[in-house]
Amino acid sequence: MQRSRHPFLQSLFKRTNDLNWLEELQLDYGHMIRPLIVGTLVAIVCSVIGCFIILRKMSFLADAIAHSMLAGVIAGYLIIKILFGQQDPHLGAMLVGAILAGVATVAMVGLVTRFSRVKQDTAIGIMYTGIFAIGAFAISIRSIGQHIKVDIYHYIVGSVLSVPDEEFWLLAIVASVVLSVVILFYRPLQLTSFDPIMAASIGIPVLAVEYLLTACTSLVVVSGVQIAGVILVVALIITPAATAYLLSDRLDRMILYSAILGVLGFWSGFALATIVGASPGASVVVMMTFIFLITLTLSPRYGLLADWIRKSSAIPQEVMEDILGVILRFPQSTIPIEEIEKLVTTRNLKIRRAISLLARQRLIEISNNQVQLTADGRIEANRLVRAHRLWETYLEKTGTPETELHDIAHKLEHISDQATVAYLDDKLGHPLSDPHGSIIPTDQSQVGINRSFISSLMRDGNRAVVEQVGETAQMCGLNAGDLVTMDRRSADGNTWVLLDADGNFIELNHDQADAIIVRLTEQTTD
Amino acid sequence: MTKTPTNQNRTAQTAAIEVSQLTVSYGPVPALLDISVTVEPGKLVGVIGPNGSGKSTLIKSILGFIKPDVGSVKIFGENVANVKGKIAYVPQRGSVDWDFPITVREVAVMGRYGKRRWWKDLKREDYQLADAALEKVRMSEFSRRQIGQLSGGQQQRVFMARALTQNADILLLDEPFAGVDAATERAILDVLQATKQQGKTVIVVHHDLSTAAEYFDQIILLKQRLFGFGSPQQVLQPKLLADVYEGNMKIFAELSTTD
Repeated sequence: MQRSRHPFLQSLFKRTNDLNWLEELQLDYGHMIRPLIVGTLVAIVCSVIGCFIILRKMSFLADAIAHSMLAGVIAGYLIIKILFGQQDPHLGAMLVGAILAGVATVAMVGLVTRFSRVKQDTAIGIMYTGIFAIGAFAISIRSIGQHIKVDIYHYIVGSVLSVPDEEFWLLAIVASVVLSVVILFYRPLQLTSFDPIMAASIGIPVLAVEYLLTACTSLVVVSGVQIAGVILVVALIITPAATAYLLSDRLDRMILYSAILGVLGFWSGFALATIVGASPGASVVVMMTFIFLITLTLSPRYGLLADWIRKSSAIPQEVMEDILGVILRFPQSTIPIEEIEKLVTTRNLKIRRAISLLARQRLIEISNNQVQLTADGRIEANRLVRAHRLWETYLEKTGTPETELHDIAHKLEHISDQATVAYLDDKLGHPLSDPHGSIIPTDQSQVGINRSFISSLMRDGNRAVVEQVGETAQMCGLNAGDLVTMDRRSADGNTWVLLDADGNFIELNHDQADAIIVRLTEQTTD
Repeated sequence: MTKTPTNQNRTAQTAAIEVSQLTVSYGPVPALLDISVTVEPGKLVGVIGPNGSGKSTLIKSILGFIKPDVGSVKIFGENVANVKGKIAYVPQRGSVDWDFPITVREVAVMGRYGKRRWWKDLKREDYQLADAALEKVRMSEFSRRQIGQLSGGQQQRVFMARALTQNADILLLDEPFAGVDAATERAILDVLQATKQQGKTVIVVHHDLSTAAEYFDQIILLKQRLFGFGSPQQVLQPKLLADVYEGNMKIFAELSTTD
């Protein structure tokens, strides 16, 4: 019978005569069961711990622990050999050697960082290459190397396809221990990762938790080396976790997604390796990286594509303000949309969308393709015109050539926050008109019936009650409770002339006018 | 009764925080030297000092995060190492990892972590208390948001909610007014005043001399050593400030005049 290119699928659906399909499966793929189980377990454990590793910025350290394993494994092997003369590798000793090497690396890094000026990243780099090199050095010495009957090669690239029984059970134990620790100690781990100071203040032994995590990391690294070898194992730990980081806003979800992504990465990598005939370790890491890159691009909240879409669809504030300005200055009270499009210089699409946004914000009303300002819209448009004209006045004072005034002010008018505009107004002595002679609208955020503000903001015809007379204005003859009317401003703008209830004229300079607070009772329209 | 009252013979209230001869050093120069300060309950105290004056070391010592080389810190009469969860800590905004996968509600409920055994699940009442605290600081509608998606003022309020949930007798805030707008500053101050009215003690590490006189009952003036502890009038003296801030005495003369 012809075998198709996909014997797995074939065996799933064909009916057999002599062997039932389950036994067929077992024959063809039975040898894969153990690697698949091992890989799944290891992927879960690595990616779960990986979440804490990346949040605590321990990725480089995890890599260091992995590299130091080589020396540890060899040391463990040699010690047993020397002490007990055993030829075959003793798994327990090698494992202990590996863990001790990991702990030694972390300790050495800590010592170097604390007692010298060398920073952590450098210390890690020195230690993990150094300890790895000790291992490589030891193997390469001919007199020692020939005695080492342990498969070093598979520690470097991984050997998930051939996992002996003891290692399998060891892995199962490591997996259950690490997962139990994460579940049991979830809150201490979470809190010490997020806010170690608060953790300490409520009695969590922060240092002990850190040691616990490092110990779990060593265990996890030792198991991860089965799949991917010492060089790539750190990818098993951090890549699914980093992918999950892009997809979640909560740690518990992040851990769950990370585990799922780790398993997904392992299975797809393993499938790839089987089909193509490549190294499983490398294939798994390739798939995990690929999944990370896809998530990076497509993630709805934190991905690059979403970011780009957000940025390009955002309507710049300037466009919105330009539209309002154009509507206000238009001679008629309503303006057709096509006119707006002609007068505002930006791409048509944005204008239409900006107009809809302005309508949604209740600043304008649209009917029959005609646009009109609402009351709020009018206030906002006036605010912008005020900012524009104050900027023009300021620019003229600072010597900007007249031909450029309008254009530069047009750019700057979008810097229209209350504090900046108030500063300009005060600095310029509260001008009433701009260099072109246009009236500068009142500051409607401060001036209004029954509102209190400094008297220098009053316009001709305003009537108000004096509320407070500051120190600077003591000698003016005004007291709290007096009724005043704003008569006029002097031609040069530096004197405020008020009329009191008895018909006397009171003249104030800028500082005095700023020092008196009044409450408006009557306002002539601007 | 003996001349120096011991805990048993004290008839006055036990001090909320008692720092005695606290010295902490990281290297050849001490970060804090011989600091002795007693803060009575129900006071709103500001910790003032230039950058590098040891303010954050003092905070960490009071919280038990750092062990002193010399001296002790006692919270309500007991050594800080033995007393857990009596101080609610609101960190500086700059030192929080805003990218951490955690929501507003989860941060608020952290205030209850000290009350539950670490291996037990949180109960519904824990979440209810957290929700109530979020309501008080008006952050309820942001409960499910990741903390990085908030504005500056909102970020500050999340940690205030955490502190309120913890319901500790002492509140410790690290530069809560840095970089917040006027409305949020007012809101935070209101919460602190309200907390003080309840009889709790509030310690604030503050960066702004000019508002210090207005906000606090007492001020701790710090620069490795204790330069002053008392009312703002007593501590914000031109001479003292000039020593600590190494500035012109004239500038400080303006600041120290109180209305």
